Amino acid sequence: MEQGIKKQSALAVETISLSKIYNGKAAVSHLDMKVQEGAIYGFIGRNGAGKSTTLKMLCGLARPTEGEIRLFGKSADTPISARRMGCLIESAGLYPHMTARQNAVMKAKCIGLTDPEAVDRVLEATGMNNTGKKKAKLFSMGMRQRLGIALALLGNPDLLVLDEPINGLDPESVREIRQLIQRLNEAGKTFIISSHILGELSKLSTHYGIIKDGNLVEQITREELEQKCVDYFQIEVDDVNRTLPLITENMPGIQTEVCDNATIRLYGLKEASGLNQLLIKSGIQVYSAGFHHMDLEDYFLARMDGIRHEENGNSLAKKCQ
Amino acid sequence: MFNLLRMDLYRLVRSKSVYICLASLMAASLLCFWMVWLIDTPEGQETAARLGMTAEIADTEDEGFHVAISGEKVSLLEGYNTLLMFREIGMDGGAYVFIFGIVIVLFFCSDYSSGFMKNIISLHRRRWMYIASKLIAAAILDLCYLAICLGFCLLLNVLFHNLVPAAPAADFLFYLGHIFVITMGFAALFLLICTFTRSTAAGVLAASVLSIGILVTLFGYITGLFGLNQWVSYTLYYNQTYAPSAYSGMADLKGYAVGAIFLALYAAASAAVLTRKDI
Repeated sequence: MEQGIKKQSALAVETISLSKIYNGKAAVSHLDMKVQEGAIYGFIGRNGAGKSTTLKMLCGLARPTEGEIRLFGKSADTPISARRMGCLIESAGLYPHMTARQNAVMKAKCIGLTDPEAVDRVLEATGMNNTGKKKAKLFSMGMRQRLGIALALLGNPDLLVLDEPINGLDPESVREIRQLIQRLNEAGKTFIISSHILGELSKLSTHYGIIKDGNLVEQITREELEQKCVDYFQIEVDDVNRTLPLITENMPGIQTEVCDNATIRLYGLKEASGLNQLLIKSGIQVYSAGFHHMDLEDYFLARMDGIRHEENGNSLAKKCQ
Repeated sequence: MFNLLRMDLYRLVRSKSVYICLASLMAASLLCFWMVWLIDTPEGQETAARLGMTAEIADTEDEGFHVAISGEKVSLLEGYNTLLMFREIGMDGGAYVFIFGIVIVLFFCSDYSSGFMKNIISLHRRRWMYIASKLIAAAILDLCYLAICLGFCLLLNVLFHNLVPAAPAADFLFYLGHIFVITMGFAALFLLICTFTRSTAAGVLAASVLSIGILVTLFGYITGLFGLNQWVSYTLYYNQTYAPSAYSGMADLKGYAVGAIFLALYAAASAAVLTRKDI
């Protein structure tokens, strides 16, 4: 838990033993999340893992059964803390019969903004300033999400909590939203983003939190993830039980990972010809072989599927499936 | 809370349902005045005849309109004044509460159905403020509706050549205060139902059933079989229908007390429900 989170700066969000129980079942269990100021925190987990429940608790939409939430060092229940946070949870909450501007004015009034240009600024920043009199009910999914982000930005919050902000968007909209998030992050805003689109999340996030069955299984920085996501050589053979000891005996320093009854991954291998010769000489049939790069998705799936670490001499045997 | 109220009023002003329901109340007033004018005035009867309408004089005595007594023609509006007309048109039968109820149910529930509730509650963690803001917005709307409906009723009376004499202003004030408190009690009840169910359909059903007293009448009859129906006089519906038209003593303030108690109870229950439930 909490691996590798360095004390670089103050914490934007800190949860202390945060739990939420629905009908006797823990949706979130003793979660200790730490998000540093200025970070883009990718919050990853399967459906029903507890991501949305956690984010709802952060945003004050769900009451924690137990635990504490601190925003910028203060209790999240104070009005000042709440104003430092903007939320887009699940879908943009918009009045369908109102225009983009009217929806933004509603939120501005709700916050108590007196600056008449604040609404125009966020609409412009999200590219929603030219929608005219078009009602929100006629907006595309991308427009709705962009307007949702615009509403979250009203009041110039320091922290933005975005739950699935790029779901259902076309590639162009995804890129626009990514660029918007990067621009805002460069301006000093902290983000917590939950998404299933891990490829996209890996382009943005500086930190990751992986949640499984309501438990935060790992918090990791981008650098630490990159160190862990090493290149590997994957072979598909007819007999894993014969192949594995062969590699362990003949190739010291190479770590192996058994993915299924036909696939083995080798870490630390620079050149594959020696391995090929060894396998052919031993009469092992090789169906496929090649170098791969482990990305966030692979890493996430490995974490989710319960990696079985087994120290075996100098090899690390893992079971992917 | 002031910010929430500003937001609610901004939305109220832009809600079509507010105007549609107000127009239907005004249309009902116009129709009632026109019908009474047609039946009760010589000019109206001439117009009715020209339009091909036929009238049959009943030989019974109705509790409200005295249609005919022993063949002798008596004005339908005998004993009526503008306040009684105002009451008969929209108030006593529950039409006003029904239509006002529909408006505020649509107003309350759209926060949930649109998802905008998430934007509000993420900013305002003290959820009772949300309930307070909604009730204040409903109170402002109620005052506007009552004032417009009354003003329109008085205007119609003038336009129809003073069909009925004017009631004293003090009686109007007393009655309006009474009906305002009662309708706010109903508003708090509808808010509680909307907060609990988060369903527009449930809210509209509640407004339909409760405003015209179906439940009170039904349970009143059932408990009446056992001589236990005294509770009926402490209901919002009863105090709406049988509200006194003028102040004659402390007993006439019962409706105010009933409305205020229900308003406070339902508002507190709504705040408790909203605080306990996740969004």
